[in-house]
Amino acid sequence: MAETDSAETDLAETESIVSMRGIGKRFAAVKALDEVSFDVKPGELIAICGENGAGKSTLMKILSGVITDYDGTLAIDGKPIRFTGTRDAEEAGISIIHQELNLVEQLSVAANVFLGREKTTAFLFRDDRAMQREAGALLAQLECSVSPSALAGTLRVGDQQLVEIAKALSLNSRILVMDEPTSALTESEVDRLIRVIAKLRERGTTILYISHKMEEVFQLSNRIVVLRDGRFIAQLNTSETNAREITHLMVGREIESLDLGEKPTRGHRLLSVRELSLPWPGHARGYRLKDISFDLYQGEVLGIAGLMGAGRTELLECLFGAAPMAPSGQIHLEDRPIRPRHPSEALAAGMALVTEDRKRLGIFTAMNVGRNITLCELASMRRGLGVNGSLERTAANSMVDKLQIKTAGLQAAITSLSGGNQQKCILGRWLLTKPKILLLDDPTRGVDVGAKAELYQIIRQLCAEGLGVIVTSSELPEILTLSDRIMVLSEGRQTALFSREEATQEKILEAATMSVA
Amino acid sequence: MNPTAQTFPEKAWALFKKLWSSVEFKLVLAWLFVVVATALLDSNHTYWNDPRGSSELIVRRTVLLGFFALGSAIIIISGGIDLSSGSVIALSATVFGSLLILLDPNGFREGHLSRLAVVLAMAGTVSVGAMIGTLHAWLITRIGLPPFIATLATLVGLRSFGRGLTPTVTIGGKSQIDFPDKLLRDALKDVTTMSIVFVVFAILLWFLMSRTVTGRHLHAMGGNEQAAKLSGIRTDRLKWLAYVLGAVSASMVGMISFADDGSAKPDIMARGYELNAIAASVIGGCSLQGGVGTIPGTILGCLFLRTVIDAVSKVVGSGADVYEGMIVGIVVVLAVTFSQRGQKAIVQRYFNNAIGWSIIPVLSILAGLLMLLFFGKQTWYTPAHAIVAGLVVGGLLVARGIWETMAEKKS
Repeated sequence: MAETDSAETDLAETESIVSMRGIGKRFAAVKALDEVSFDVKPGELIAICGENGAGKSTLMKILSGVITDYDGTLAIDGKPIRFTGTRDAEEAGISIIHQELNLVEQLSVAANVFLGREKTTAFLFRDDRAMQREAGALLAQLECSVSPSALAGTLRVGDQQLVEIAKALSLNSRILVMDEPTSALTESEVDRLIRVIAKLRERGTTILYISHKMEEVFQLSNRIVVLRDGRFIAQLNTSETNAREITHLMVGREIESLDLGEKPTRGHRLLSVRELSLPWPGHARGYRLKDISFDLYQGEVLGIAGLMGAGRTELLECLFGAAPMAPSGQIHLEDRPIRPRHPSEALAAGMALVTEDRKRLGIFTAMNVGRNITLCELASMRRGLGVNGSLERTAANSMVDKLQIKTAGLQAAITSLSGGNQQKCILGRWLLTKPKILLLDDPTRGVDVGAKAELYQIIRQLCAEGLGVIVTSSELPEILTLSDRIMVLSEGRQTALFSREEATQEKILEAATMSVA
Repeated sequence: MNPTAQTFPEKAWALFKKLWSSVEFKLVLAWLFVVVATALLDSNHTYWNDPRGSSELIVRRTVLLGFFALGSAIIIISGGIDLSSGSVIALSATVFGSLLILLDPNGFREGHLSRLAVVLAMAGTVSVGAMIGTLHAWLITRIGLPPFIATLATLVGLRSFGRGLTPTVTIGGKSQIDFPDKLLRDALKDVTTMSIVFVVFAILLWFLMSRTVTGRHLHAMGGNEQAAKLSGIRTDRLKWLAYVLGAVSASMVGMISFADDGSAKPDIMARGYELNAIAASVIGGCSLQGGVGTIPGTILGCLFLRTVIDAVSKVVGSGADVYEGMIVGIVVVLAVTFSQRGQKAIVQRYFNNAIGWSIIPVLSILAGLLMLLFFGKQTWYTPAHAIVAGLVVGGLLVARGIWETMAEKKS
């Protein structure tokens, strides 16, 4: 399976800008990286592919000085080196754009670009004007039109990312590591990023690019390195391979085709929403959502498509009683009117919400895997006044089995799990409550191909069990694969409702960018 | 390695390593060390000569701290902070005294309170505690104040309220209320009764925190409040429970302290105690970030803190209460430093950079001064002792700094 030899031999002779030899890293009992070796030539764009938990991010954190405690050796320009921190790596010309961006939201764009290397005037006063001028020039090169004096926290994710790239440019980085840079971007932002990457390569910047998205990998890279379970699996020239082969190497098995089989039959109406509106005081538009109406039936997946800021998350929050203020309009659950004002009321009514931001709104890092799973349904695991340990274990194990959560045990720390498995824990937490309606807000964000397919299967299975599912996603192919019907939002309004048969990427995109002033 | 082939020492070592990872075990070991060291170092050999009296003193102090430290710990675990406990203690003592005067004025004057008046006054004082807790919860959840600000306001406000209350209920407008009934006083300050009540209270809270749904929800809320709310947990109600438990436990301490001290002086009573409670919780393994901590750990934290304070007073001889704050400060710093260590594998760099080197003279001077303060009145003491102590500490720290530098170069 591992076709490593051909590419490696000719590399050994060329001068490499980065060379890794036998890199290994353990987190407690888990081997995140095991004897990984490969080289990078100057000016290359190498895509690092692998499922979540394959060790891509860990490897890049070692390369960029975030992790300083590891086995093996790292050489830059042929000289062995061991960074003691990101500062060291930056001096060696390596910058990293993390998946979770690293900006100080309360500071301006320019201040972020020059953070830690502020420019000063003759008397050691901070020279804000020079910094803003330079930051502005850098951003202009990146086709980014934001003002350098704007606060970083007010920018869209795509622009924040360009601020990070501007920071790397200002450092004169020769090597840029990008960790899933497109995971939170809209289509147009992705296009812009691809143009920016092309520009960077013209200047001779070497780029290590982590991504799950085969399309981007094949469009951008000239070589692909595949990792699996912390081990080096293969490196291939992009021109000599195809997406199928790479996915095969990543997963180590044939990935099931994304045809999810027969669609379950549609049951009775679970949810009916009429003219749901959510005001937005103090904003020019005046509303976050306006006049949304739809139905959801048993055994059905309703996809909600829309660009960032279209109101997808807000809509789910309204249904779940978690909106910042009370929405207007009618919601009927199985023909009974409901008006949840707190998530606990929505939970009691039979709804479940898997939130978009797993780290911030989903997992409890101080609790183990078992406790993360049982949290919502603890009341039913009581015997007398207290929680019964064995009832709790049984319940948690039932979800670990049903969802095939890969964990060292119920006692393992939730943070030791990969993103996909953490997501399954949260899904399990909600399935224990036996919901009628499952709301999934971008459930596969930051989840790898293999786990994605598993989640799709699980969603389909839940539909067959009689649930109704509402799912949002920032990836159109995902919406098209999963949904029976697709509702499109644009700027807080409903602009289309397609059946699966009539929906295409083009139609959805057209409706999502429709202006509804 | 085959686990069944483990020899006895290997098994024992594995067990020890497992125990070592718990705060409670480390605290027990540290406590034993302090007790043995004090027994050996104390020139009067108090622990040998009067074990009963010595332990009674430590237990009394531990229990008095423990009551409201447990309340404080629950608030900390649930992600908040309570700065007001000292003032709540002072106010509760005042309220208890005031209610006794109002309910049974004759009995108060003659020193024989009716049983009904005592029960009603106790219930009233506990209710006042519950009201204060409700006020905190309202300020935090409805007004939206940060817990630090809300309880800072009551820290200063409630003590002043108690001072205003005292002259209006006492005859002649005195600024303190003296405890009237000797029999009642003896019953309330009796160390056995106090300990039994505390044990029952602690078991109830332990059950609440580690065995009930509510306890798990409190931990969840402390760890990630947003996620807890989105999991359908009524976070506002939980906060109310936590702050009410905190204030009620302080109220109970207020009544006992009233008896223990023999009078309620709202201006000076229990001043700064809130910080002792927070310190004991932190020593006992609670994280100020929320979500982490246990009831047994907090109790051990209280026991350890009071034992160290007692140990210093035994070794130094006199003026121990003067050093109480200093000891609390040092123990908190050491405890948190020590508990952080386990998380990082490599050599800790405490001294080998600019800030590190510049702290060495500070710590050396402090060591010399402590020598003078603690032992200045001893017959054997000469200024040379203080200088030598300072130099020895300084030398050791410099050696550590050099070792850190060498260890760093090696890696």
